[in-house]
Amino acid sequence: MSYAFKDYQWSKDIAIKEYLLPRSLAEAFEILAKYNGKAQVIAGGTDVIPRLRHRDLEVEALVDITHLPDMSGIREEADKIVIGGLTTHRQIAASPLIREKAGILADGAGCLGSPQIRNIATVAGNLVSGHPAADTSTPLLALNASVTITSQEGERVIPLTEFFLDKGKTALDCRREILTQIRFAALKKNQGSSHLRLSKRRSLTVAVLIFAAVVEVDHTQNMIKAAQIALGPVAPIPLRATKTEAALRGAPINNETIERAAESVCRESNPIADPVWGSAEYKEEIIKVFTKRGLKKALKQAGTPVE
Amino acid sequence: MKEKTDKKKKVKILTKEKVDLQQLFKVPSMGLAVAGQSVARTDARQKVMGTLKFGADYAQEKFLHGKILRSPHPHALIKSINTEKAKSMPGVMAVLTAEDVPGRNGFGAIIPDQPVICSDKVRFVGDGVALVAAETEQIAQQALERIEVEYEILPAIFDPRDAIKEDAPKIHDKGNLLSYNKLRKGDVSKGFAEADTILKRTYQVPFLDHAYLEPDMCMAIPQPDGTMLVEGPMQAPFTTRRNVNAVLGVPINKVRVRQVPMGGGFGGKEDSPIDLGARAAVLAWHTGKPVRLALEREEVMLQTCKRHPMIMEIRIGAKKDGTLLAFEGVIYDEQGAYASLGPIIPPAGGSHIHAMIMMAGPYEIPNVKVDAYLCYTNNPYGGAMRGFGAPQVHIAHEQLIDELAEELGMNPIDIRRKNGLKQGSATATGQVLDQSVGLIDTLDACAKAFNWDEKYRQTGYIDKARSKRRGVGIGMGWYRTSIGINADGCGANVHVHEDGSVLLFSGITEMGQGSFTVLPQICAEELGVRLEDIRYVVPDTDIVPESGPTVGSRSTTLMGNAIILAARQVKESILAAASEMLDVPADRLVAKDRLIYDTENSVNSVTFKDAALKCMQTGRRLIGQGWWTPPKPSLDPETGQGNPYFVYTFSTHMAEVIVDVETGEVDITDFVAAFDIGRAINPRLIEGQIEGGVAMGLGYALMENVVVDQGYIQNKSLRNYLIPTSLDVPDTRSIILEVENKYGPYGAKGIGEMPNIPATPAVLNAIANACGGRVRSLPADPEGVFRAIREAGGPPDK
Amino acid sequence: MNHVELSFKLNGQDISIQILPNTLLVDLLRDRLGLTGTKTGCRQGECGVCTVLLDGDPVNSCLLPAVKVAGRSVTTIEGLATEDGRLDIIQERFISEGAVQCGFCTPGMIMNAKALLDREASPSETDIKKAISGVLCRCTGYRKIVQAVKSASEAKE
Repeated sequence: MSYAFKDYQWSKDIAIKEYLLPRSLAEAFEILAKYNGKAQVIAGGTDVIPRLRHRDLEVEALVDITHLPDMSGIREEADKIVIGGLTTHRQIAASPLIREKAGILADGAGCLGSPQIRNIATVAGNLVSGHPAADTSTPLLALNASVTITSQEGERVIPLTEFFLDKGKTALDCRREILTQIRFAALKKNQGSSHLRLSKRRSLTVAVLIFAAVVEVDHTQNMIKAAQIALGPVAPIPLRATKTEAALRGAPINNETIERAAESVCRESNPIADPVWGSAEYKEEIIKVFTKRGLKKALKQAGTPVE
Repeated sequence: MKEKTDKKKKVKILTKEKVDLQQLFKVPSMGLAVAGQSVARTDARQKVMGTLKFGADYAQEKFLHGKILRSPHPHALIKSINTEKAKSMPGVMAVLTAEDVPGRNGFGAIIPDQPVICSDKVRFVGDGVALVAAETEQIAQQALERIEVEYEILPAIFDPRDAIKEDAPKIHDKGNLLSYNKLRKGDVSKGFAEADTILKRTYQVPFLDHAYLEPDMCMAIPQPDGTMLVEGPMQAPFTTRRNVNAVLGVPINKVRVRQVPMGGGFGGKEDSPIDLGARAAVLAWHTGKPVRLALEREEVMLQTCKRHPMIMEIRIGAKKDGTLLAFEGVIYDEQGAYASLGPIIPPAGGSHIHAMIMMAGPYEIPNVKVDAYLCYTNNPYGGAMRGFGAPQVHIAHEQLIDELAEELGMNPIDIRRKNGLKQGSATATGQVLDQSVGLIDTLDACAKAFNWDEKYRQTGYIDKARSKRRGVGIGMGWYRTSIGINADGCGANVHVHEDGSVLLFSGITEMGQGSFTVLPQICAEELGVRLEDIRYVVPDTDIVPESGPTVGSRSTTLMGNAIILAARQVKESILAAASEMLDVPADRLVAKDRLIYDTENSVNSVTFKDAALKCMQTGRRLIGQGWWTPPKPSLDPETGQGNPYFVYTFSTHMAEVIVDVETGEVDITDFVAAFDIGRAINPRLIEGQIEGGVAMGLGYALMENVVVDQGYIQNKSLRNYLIPTSLDVPDTRSIILEVENKYGPYGAKGIGEMPNIPATPAVLNAIANACGGRVRSLPADPEGVFRAIREAGGPPDK
Repeated sequence: MNHVELSFKLNGQDISIQILPNTLLVDLLRDRLGLTGTKTGCRQGECGVCTVLLDGDPVNSCLLPAVKVAGRSVTTIEGLATEDGRLDIIQERFISEGAVQCGFCTPGMIMNAKALLDREASPSETDIKKAISGVLCRCTGYRKIVQAVKSASEAKE
């Protein structure tokens, strides 16, 4: 056990040489290409700036994308919700559309950091941080979201389930690419959702556990048609409990199903101990508690409460 | 008071030949005009405008920037150090190692055992190995990276119990047991033999950080006359001065130390300014230029003092009716790498001895035995943090009393009422409390406002799903006023001018607690002028008299008394002049609200400033000096018996919580805190201390923990060292009681530290009452509570 | 490193200044412009004492590269009182309610409160607690701060 030099000597500086504000995507990509890996994208900066100060990140230049056009806004497109890559957590939390059609995302976004952070931190940036405890990753995974990654070469759309690769690492290379859009299907009448978060205090704190679920039910048969269950941080990446989800398809809505799902989600998770945030055993217990509570809450919202 | 008559004028002149303390500070019969009022703070306007300059706000252009190279190892020998590369960098003005310290290479509030710059070894991660001064902060940082140090790692100690084992590696030459202290009252074996019930428990508390919002910094500015000025946020200018002068190797009168108002102190800024002041001064000494040494938050977490962790093994014996018979305790008090404010200055200074004195709690127990070990380790070091050893022991005895109550089937309030200290009670040190004992009054007042009886009956599940349970708990406590050492004196000067304006000279510092308002209130009250007539001069050791540090909840009381004495000296002149002007004997005159009037004919008056002018014109002294020391403390080193502190503040807190028994999360839904503080000089400021202190106490209970692993602090930022936010604190209700202290200004005694002490056990007891889970190793964060419930075999059924 | 020209509105005044690109807004305000009312407590966005208003919204200026505010409007604590020294109602109530102790968090608290009261005429106590949940205070326990903001909102009506 030891510290790196940067862990016991601090300065107030961020060591960048240029801070650029392109006005178009083309200009942004040109700059990134010119720097050839020595520059990266910054939006709100609430993640990038502390990392620079702690020397967890070393770049020569920052390319600020907050002036790029056509990247803000939350809108409905048929049955889909489309969120621009510059949308802030505050905008999401305050959006009546999101509250109504994807409440768990509003809940999750509203938990991040503090009001000041939520005012400038973008949801796209939260995803790109690749942190398993990122507050919007878990609800967006439960909503089966997909993201549009734009680069000089063009656009590609990938489901969020394929976006997270490892802790702090995503399918997006922030030295070449920009996350321009997030989209997911709005919740339907026969769907219910829930979002639960456990933390050591009530503001300004990373979660010990986040749980988000979306269930689709068949009222007449009183069964679960489909479920998406997402959690973090219980693995290096925000997790979808796919095995549990498979087992829930067609399952009757009763306590036994819930209990089994709780055990299953716990088995699919692999939380690690952290000296500050807590032990793995405790997290496993809370995974079970949250799965039970979260599924019950989602089923109740869908109109099929567990008796 | 003896009376003399001046033959010529037949005016009575009061001379003091023997001071009767009981009469000295009594509230005047006409009541208080300025003291006792909730006046607005004198510095509030500047603070809300953002114009008040804190240390870091001072202009930086003329300063060099200082930085400290720190040890990356908890225990190691320094084999070699090479500073050539760093020295040769452009913009670097000094790179200093141990041999560059001009005087004593050691500082410390009590024992100067911490090197300014380590020479042969390092004792904790963060120990200072070299100092750099450069033109910019960036250059200084880069210079640090170019200093080459070779270490030989030594086996290290991280547990105080390991530190005192036979074969433990020595951290300091004289050994790892910094202090062993004992208390013996009565005969505990006899007491336990007579007990119907005996309980034995161990309680453990971790390192805590003050987490004041203002990071530490210090400025050292060489003066043209060859003296060194050290300026910055600090609680103890005189302690800082007597360290800096020794480090520079110059007489005390060649160092000048000046306080800048602090953004919070809580005890941490009692000794961190000694550290930064000594180091900045050495850099300034060598470069001949002003040096600014400012810490980033992570550096504050890393290198400044913490609250002492303790392991407390205690045993209590009682009769079945709840009468306490015997108390036995062993305290393993972890000092960490350096002595700071842990060890004793006889009879009672130092947090360790204070913990020992307070260990058995505010209870009348005939037989008490305490053995307290203060041990060095290679962890961060313990210093003063709001309560100075008392918070830790309260967590132990208040929980133990509750566990005992449960065992005996008694209501927690009844066992406390039965055994709590009253007027005439003897404490664990055998001190008979003969005045100002409002403990049970606070218990009763708190219970009434909190509605204890009804709430105690309502413990249990609050939801159909049976996941949340309500519970209530009490924390009862006491805390000293003053430091309990022989050198606990306080001086004040008061200068009145011919226009009625006043300068007040006192070395008590402002860290938010309101001393810069309360002390002028006392001065204005005593002189009979308005608060705005007083200007409180910056605490500057060249200008103000020795005051002692702003610690130990002593400021209002000790300095308040000194100010009254100083003001009275001037008032004598003022009244004498007024007496002449009005042709009325001085003892019939009263000064109030800028007027001096005849009590028998109130229209017959002169203004304060006219009387002052007359004094000036007739050569009468308009300067007053007061010096006050508490009644002499005593504490026998063999038995721990004596009177260590001359008065105590008492308090009871009650908490209502709702515990989610499946996750361990705790919600505090009601909180009442009652205090006997003798006299509230400024009631609203007292309330502020109460509300803030309770929040700090709740943090200790629920979330605060400096996690140290093998000597390495894991949470060095406010991101992962958690203090309560606005959403975590309940709407605390405060109750102020005044059970007059005859040795305090208008009856006052201390408040600063008391509020954060009983809050912690009140919450812990409420949690245990709610869910059956007792957290004996803090914090009671969700995981801690969850595990406690598991250990108890699950939540209660009802 | 080359300097860049930054133009923005600061407390209602247009300003233009040459800065290095790695300058953070908090340091620009404190070190270059002498506006030391905005404080630094952690430099990580974790304590909120550096809060300023950016186009009326509270943000942590320790996390904001100064270049970001180009063309935008920044308000600091110094921008609240009028030039002849008349305090904003929030400042007044902080004084009268005893919401100030050490004063280090006070500017951050007031700026967050100002943004709230500019948006919300009658905030509840919960609204107020949420609005200041991004500023840490170690001295007051928050209660008098909440009462001061409530009192200010009532006075404004």
